[in-house]
Amino acid sequence: MLSPLAVKQWRRFRSIRRGYWSALILTATIVLSLGAELLVNSRALVVFYQGELFFPTYGAFLPGTTFGLDYDFETDYRDLKRVFAQRGEGDWVLLPPVAFNALENDLKTDSYPPYSPSLRSGHYLGTDSTGRDVLARLVYGFRTAMAFSFVLLAFNYAIGIATGCAMGFWGGAFDLLFQRLIEILNNVPTLYVIMIVASVVVPNFWTLLAVMVLLGWTQMTWYMRTSTYKEKSREYVVAARALGATSVRMIGSHILPNAISVIVTFIPFSVAGGVTLLTALDYLGFGLPPPTPSWGEMLSQGTSHLESPWIVTSVVAAMVVVLLMVTYVGEAIREAFDPKQFTYYE
Amino acid sequence: MRTLITMAALGGAVLIAACGAETDPDAEAPAVAAKLAEELPPIEVREGDGLPATLPAGLIWETNDEDPTFASPDAQRGGTYRTYMLSFPLTLRRVGPDSNGFIAPYLRYNQLGPVTYHPQTRRPIPSLATHWAFGADGRSIYYRLNPKARWSDGVPVTADDFVFAVQFNRSKAIVAPWYNNYYTERIRDVKRYDDYTIGIQGADAKPVAEMHYQYGIGPQPRHFHMLNDTWVQDNNWTIEPNTGPYQIGKVEKGKYIEWHRVEGWWADDLKYFRHRFNPDKIRLRVIREPNVAFQHFLKGEIDSFDLTRPKRWHEKATGEAFDAGYIVKYWFYNALPVPSSGMYLNTADPLLADRNIRYGLAHAMNFERVIDTVLRGDYERLPTFQLGFGAYDNRDIRAREFDLEKAAEHFAQAGFVERGADGILAKDGQRLSLRVTYGRPDDTERLVILQEDAKKAGVELTLQLLDAVLSFKQMQEKKHQIAWMGWASSGLSPRYWEHFHSANANKTQTNNLANYGDPLMDELIMQFRASADLDQRVALAHRLERMVHDAGVVIPSFQVPYTREGAWRWMKLPAWLGTRASGQLFNSQALSAGLFSSGGLFWIDAQEKERTLAAKDEGVQFEPSTVLNTDYRGG
Repeated sequence: MLSPLAVKQWRRFRSIRRGYWSALILTATIVLSLGAELLVNSRALVVFYQGELFFPTYGAFLPGTTFGLDYDFETDYRDLKRVFAQRGEGDWVLLPPVAFNALENDLKTDSYPPYSPSLRSGHYLGTDSTGRDVLARLVYGFRTAMAFSFVLLAFNYAIGIATGCAMGFWGGAFDLLFQRLIEILNNVPTLYVIMIVASVVVPNFWTLLAVMVLLGWTQMTWYMRTSTYKEKSREYVVAARALGATSVRMIGSHILPNAISVIVTFIPFSVAGGVTLLTALDYLGFGLPPPTPSWGEMLSQGTSHLESPWIVTSVVAAMVVVLLMVTYVGEAIREAFDPKQFTYYE
Repeated sequence: MRTLITMAALGGAVLIAACGAETDPDAEAPAVAAKLAEELPPIEVREGDGLPATLPAGLIWETNDEDPTFASPDAQRGGTYRTYMLSFPLTLRRVGPDSNGFIAPYLRYNQLGPVTYHPQTRRPIPSLATHWAFGADGRSIYYRLNPKARWSDGVPVTADDFVFAVQFNRSKAIVAPWYNNYYTERIRDVKRYDDYTIGIQGADAKPVAEMHYQYGIGPQPRHFHMLNDTWVQDNNWTIEPNTGPYQIGKVEKGKYIEWHRVEGWWADDLKYFRHRFNPDKIRLRVIREPNVAFQHFLKGEIDSFDLTRPKRWHEKATGEAFDAGYIVKYWFYNALPVPSSGMYLNTADPLLADRNIRYGLAHAMNFERVIDTVLRGDYERLPTFQLGFGAYDNRDIRAREFDLEKAAEHFAQAGFVERGADGILAKDGQRLSLRVTYGRPDDTERLVILQEDAKKAGVELTLQLLDAVLSFKQMQEKKHQIAWMGWASSGLSPRYWEHFHSANANKTQTNNLANYGDPLMDELIMQFRASADLDQRVALAHRLERMVHDAGVVIPSFQVPYTREGAWRWMKLPAWLGTRASGQLFNSQALSAGLFSSGGLFWIDAQEKERTLAAKDEGVQFEPSTVLNTDYRGG
């Protein structure tokens, strides 16, 4: 059962059209990207071969020999489609709308990549400098960036909120100690730490995340600390304490729900921040290792291949649209949670 | 170290000295005379080393004036050659801290050695020395200096300057440990027999053909240097006298450096120096970004530009200035030592210890596809580890080609038969996955293509891109599985000891990146190093190169056996463009690659310049022109 306040906030959020629509579109895109293998993939959706149906999308790879081809590495389904058409034995292949994955190099013998966008070749946004499909890399790059951003947010907020709350609730020496610790962490240059880490191990999704969380959880602590301090001295908390409530109950049932509204408004901006951070790192070459599809890598490729404008245009357009939408959602949430209802959103 | 060795040996051990720009010239002359009159302290010689006290009898003095010349008699003197550097040097010294900047080659190559090598015949030709002879011990060499040789300040070059070179380079005052070491460990003695006769003794016997390269050190202007504790600071911006055609004439810190042709250069009339080093001035200005520099070139503010990289040649070097024929494109095949680039497989790794895996891996690398696509067919496959040393080259070796059947066969012999769910071969749960360490972001696009095609063979490559310095450090610490890198090549013969001798295997900070060792190979390498007989060395090199191929520890990648440059119409070259050893066509320096005397062949045609500029103003067009020369393709 939603509280009347929550219902009010939700109504208010819905009434801000661009934020609301942005939220819908973003959610839809993220959900769709989870099933990206079905939309953008070099593996066929369905193959009908000699009376049998195959669904290669998920699961183990099917060597070419499965379909009577003469090689035992992964089947080239686009080629298979041509082969079936030539044979004319009633076999067929159903390819996804974009029949390329983000890693394969679709290279031609008569010209050099990057290839410009073309309906005929199936590269709707062209290819990058090694013949990889720009659209495929955009989609998978989006998924990686979003996943990274959300996981980062979850960790940062979990640690940040817990610590901030504890600092505010207990105060005293504990508070002082953590304030200093946070100040120290805030002064560690993230980029250098990542460069050092990258020199020791090949950075992957989780190592990058670990470094970011290690240095990034501090942002939320200050807000939580302040609002906990504020709520702690309110009468209802004092009353709960008088009734003999435990610390956990006081924080969990009384303080957190009231302090959390501050946090909620930060979420969209943290998501945008996470995406930008990963993109920046990839752009500089300290992010996820190649050939991981990533927006930062595309951006750096695009800027060094300005004569092939489709690379840089695609990725810049995608970034602008996504970040803009996230910002709209953020604005709408902030507005919806604003206790001063007499202000108007313009 | 390869590069460094070359510089020291040929460029000579010269230093930069304080030129008396602010000093009163009258006061300086007696000072120089007094300095020259000083007795030099003797060179410290270890037991077992040392040249005879008097010139040995029976020396056979050789010279070389029968080789053909390679400069064009049509060359015109004059004009300013304008080029650029990416940053201003931190010092004008030639040794010591921070002395390895953009202008280092200009400084080094304007300090001549006793001889250089003919770029076509690879034989020694006179430079500061007119004659040379070899001692009976196989490690000493004697030179007769050209009495005409002068420092740029007019002081004659004498035997004392060579003796001083050793003292100078052994001195702690110059803060150059590498030089200190080289002149102690490799150069054992230098003796003056008379004003114009010297002897140099090196550490070990070398084949006669390589003696000059190994031990032919250059002189140091002893009248100029004052070796004391403040030498480094004192000489940061002084201009040391030199013996080459150009001397620094004008410096504006942070902006440009201008070299001026030495007036009445002493070597102007030497056979192999005639008609060379033609511009009166060379102006190097600071342009911090190559793309910006390229724009300057398009405007005609820079005379020539390197266009070797496929992207520059095909995409950037287009447009009006090229179509109208104002800028001419040159594609010149040379025959210089090829950098040994490729994949160095660390045999200390359990997977790569198996030769079958190494062979399989070589057959799983589709270099041909990389060349045909992202490299635009411009590069060539490097057939073997070392190439470009004339007779030493083993040209029968072909690199293992991309062949999935052969790869599968070799992997099967190593026990890798089954493919996992992801299509990667596996044995007892161990996947055939290998890490490639590399340091140049530009190489990623080459590697991802190899990576994709390797999957077909059931091999997974993971790419580890590190900062250039860190990647090399990791390779030197032997922490890599596959090192993707290239060794710069120079010298007269290939090198095996540093790369394949077991003495360097499984040790950090050595160049044996494969951690490879083989008793027979060790023995042959030592024979190769010790042998002073050319035929024997050539035979050994052929055999060693074959053994490297058979070991399969290096998968050679690409070679670029040419230079491509663009130059404005007024920049003229001989009809033959360059020599076998021309690393660059528009090279204003005395020596190219620190070894062969191939530079300075171009000239500036003043009339043509006027014509071109006028045509450009009026919109008159010429025929677009691309000059291709394949005379030295394939050796």
